Amino acid sequence: MPVPFLGLLLVTPALLVVTLLFIVPLASSITGAFDVDGNFGIGNFQKAFELYSSDIVFTIVIVLLSSVLIGLCSIAIGGYLTLGNNPRAVSILKWLYRWPLFIPFIVVGQILRTFLAKNGLMNSMLMESGILTAAQTISFLDWRGIVIAFVWKQTPFVTLLIAGAMASLDRAMIESARNLGASRLRILVEIILPQVLPTLLVGLILSFVTMMSVLSVPLMINAQSPTMITASMAFRINAYGDYGVANALGVISLMTTSVVAWIHLRQTMREHR
Amino acid sequence: MRKVCYPLVALALTTSPVLAEELTVLTAGDQNMVDYVNEYLGPLFESQNPGTTVRAVGTGPGDAGSQKILERFDAQAQANVGTWDADVAVVHEKFAGPMVEKGYLDAYRGDIENGKLATGANSKMALGTNVDGYVMPMFSSQTALAYNPALVPTPPRSYEELATWAKENPKQFGYNGIKGGASGVSFVMGWIYAFAGDADKLMNGPFEEAETAKWSDAFASLKDFTTNATLTPGNAGTLDMLSRGEISMGPVWVDMFYSWKADGKLPPEMKLVLPAPGMPGQPMHYVIPEKSGHKDLAEKFVNLATSPEVQAEGIVKRFNWYPGIDAQLVQSKLDAATWDKLFTDISPEDLAKNGKSFPIAPYNTAILEAYERQVGN
Amino acid sequence: MTLNDLKWIPRGLCLGLLAFAIFGPLTNLVLWAVTERWYFPHALPLEYGFTYWAKVFSPRGNATVSLLTSVMIACLTVVVSVGLAIPAGYALARLKLPLRGVILLLLLIPQAFPNLPVYVNIARIFYQFGLNGTILGVVLVHVTHGLVYAVWIATAAFSAVDGELEEAARSIGASAMRTFVDVTLPIAAPGLLASSIFVFLESLDEFTGTYFVGAPDVSTLPLLLYTAGSGGNYQIASITALVLLVPSIAFMFVIEKFLRADVLSKVGR
Repeated sequence: MPVPFLGLLLVTPALLVVTLLFIVPLASSITGAFDVDGNFGIGNFQKAFELYSSDIVFTIVIVLLSSVLIGLCSIAIGGYLTLGNNPRAVSILKWLYRWPLFIPFIVVGQILRTFLAKNGLMNSMLMESGILTAAQTISFLDWRGIVIAFVWKQTPFVTLLIAGAMASLDRAMIESARNLGASRLRILVEIILPQVLPTLLVGLILSFVTMMSVLSVPLMINAQSPTMITASMAFRINAYGDYGVANALGVISLMTTSVVAWIHLRQTMREHR
Repeated sequence: MRKVCYPLVALALTTSPVLAEELTVLTAGDQNMVDYVNEYLGPLFESQNPGTTVRAVGTGPGDAGSQKILERFDAQAQANVGTWDADVAVVHEKFAGPMVEKGYLDAYRGDIENGKLATGANSKMALGTNVDGYVMPMFSSQTALAYNPALVPTPPRSYEELATWAKENPKQFGYNGIKGGASGVSFVMGWIYAFAGDADKLMNGPFEEAETAKWSDAFASLKDFTTNATLTPGNAGTLDMLSRGEISMGPVWVDMFYSWKADGKLPPEMKLVLPAPGMPGQPMHYVIPEKSGHKDLAEKFVNLATSPEVQAEGIVKRFNWYPGIDAQLVQSKLDAATWDKLFTDISPEDLAKNGKSFPIAPYNTAILEAYERQVGN
Repeated sequence: MTLNDLKWIPRGLCLGLLAFAIFGPLTNLVLWAVTERWYFPHALPLEYGFTYWAKVFSPRGNATVSLLTSVMIACLTVVVSVGLAIPAGYALARLKLPLRGVILLLLLIPQAFPNLPVYVNIARIFYQFGLNGTILGVVLVHVTHGLVYAVWIATAAFSAVDGELEEAARSIGASAMRTFVDVTLPIAAPGLLASSIFVFLESLDEFTGTYFVGAPDVSTLPLLLYTAGSGGNYQIASITALVLLVPSIAFMFVIEKFLRADVLSKVGR
């Protein structure tokens, strides 16, 4: 059997499931985005941009910012897990960082709402301990709340992936760099990071995609306008029964994530060959 | 395909084969709606109809919950399913119209004994669509302003007073815009009723494009008002901020307000006020899909649910909701103290005068879009 | 006292801050789970109790059955996803495949398009196939989302297998299938197990697809969580979330036993 054919055969079952059970239903949504009163048109996109362009920009900025912060936090945690000198601190950290992974997004929305609010648990705790006074408390229930929620929930996911990658690196190179007197930060940035970069990027892309499609976090945390694309999609459907504009927003969201994923895939494919 | 699936299901053992008659109730709304069917109405119905079981499925609060029921019907209609998997559904008023127009519902009200007790106008028209015969109101809900008397000793009695009060107390009033749920929407509708003309026309129609041009001043003042207010994340978000004292007043659904109080999440001294010229309320409707597999049982169920006894004991006494059917019939089943509890904060006169309905669907859409363009952006 | 002796201070401070950031919100969760009354101006609950636990586990609430159903669905989802991901991942990692990037992208789409407007179409298709109200239907919906993680990570796991080992097995006369089962699969197994954690969690958190495809016959705990959570029913939502922690952590614990860290290193290459 020729190899490309065998390969396709092996991929087919997975592709079939996704195609039949998601891409086919999605097709009606995508054509629906171009359906204006029964005719083909881009009216839904015009309306989407007219009413929600600030939401689109807001979403992309928030998700990119969150991705950067998630990347930095997971590098820091993963780096310490790999290079930490104190075994006790390493094992505490290892035990500590994973918890948010197990909390569903809708609950993340709820607990961070009651935690980050002006009179929420965080400010109460800080006031009890005398760090803040009542007048200094502020609410984080806006874009900052969304970013905090995303970073809180997604950092363990990416960390779990890159900590594994870091642990499997060749220790000899790290040790010799150490013996030459390189600082741990330098080892992390110049030796470890380049080697785990592909893993980091995949983790971040999977996070990016997940964050783009979360509805409960913006709904429960962000009261302000603009808000995230998903919240506007929900509003279009629930308030107006308007699937056209909702689907157009969905397509815009899909394009955004596709561009990001495609840039990454092209790069890895070059390496793959 | 079915042949493959059924043994699998049987194997899974979690779905019992339909031996006894099983009545499936889909309900939009909060957890307490599911509790109402599960803890009160379901057991009562089962005891009266031995061999039947009632199971309730909650689809989530707010319009999103009703939308999910509508989408479920859409999917079954498009797939040409012969017998639908829901027997009774509880939906918001706004969704009764589309369901009737799409021909999903059974006109059952004439068939049930208590059908004639639904005397309110809301059982005939739903936001401008004729739904006469297709719906029975479960209860009526109302939006009002919740406030903390410790922080607001004399609450504003009208929208004008509220605007002045909010200016004097910046950020103390909170509402959830229009994207976060209907309590914010309701507040906005009330604002338009108060400052932009003809509430009766908005509520009863007919729709005239020219009417929409009259709102710009009201939206400008609302935008101004909103800069002095706090925006909250959702219906529950308003209650949440009231609960932590971050705002001292905000629009809420009366039924949610009471369940938050009952759950110990609001200070017991919190009160409600319904400002003039009024804020909208809406009924939750019982509907029966045309293609329900257990129509007789479903009719029996709704008949029980809308009997004066159940409306008195379940709706008013247990949950402190306004009855769906003719109020006088319900009142006669209750002692004065229980009945009066319904009107602790909002008197029957205020409710009659200031309890409005939502604008008819085209105005509703136009107002929301105008808000998006003029206030939200 | 040397400078080295003081090094624990920044380290302790950092760990303390991280612990605050992670356990602060979680404390909130635990507090709400045992709260009877909590409101302004009280910084902590006024009254603690287990009333809401009784409510969640009331006989008609079906929480126990729903929990078992959720766990069973999550396990089946893992089995199906990983079962599909093994051949796909192998092909994507080891064989020359046309349109490799397109295939990986295609498998990403179920996560990349916000699902809200799609569910009605998904439900329609499942009704047409007669899959509605079946465990199989719910599992398949979860699989479409779980495959994103399963395939991407399986691809990595197979990339990590040293090709020379396979060649050695072939050269002593083992068949291709035999080589795969005896050599390739055991080496890739830890990576596949790692992906199963994410698939398991994805399935255990999903509710909208479950409603459209499973309800009313299949009831899972996240469905209950959704109604309670989005309505601001903090006690019920917190309790449900805590209950859901048990299978998640148990699953993670089991998987950790098998997990070999280095397989994770090749994800996405």
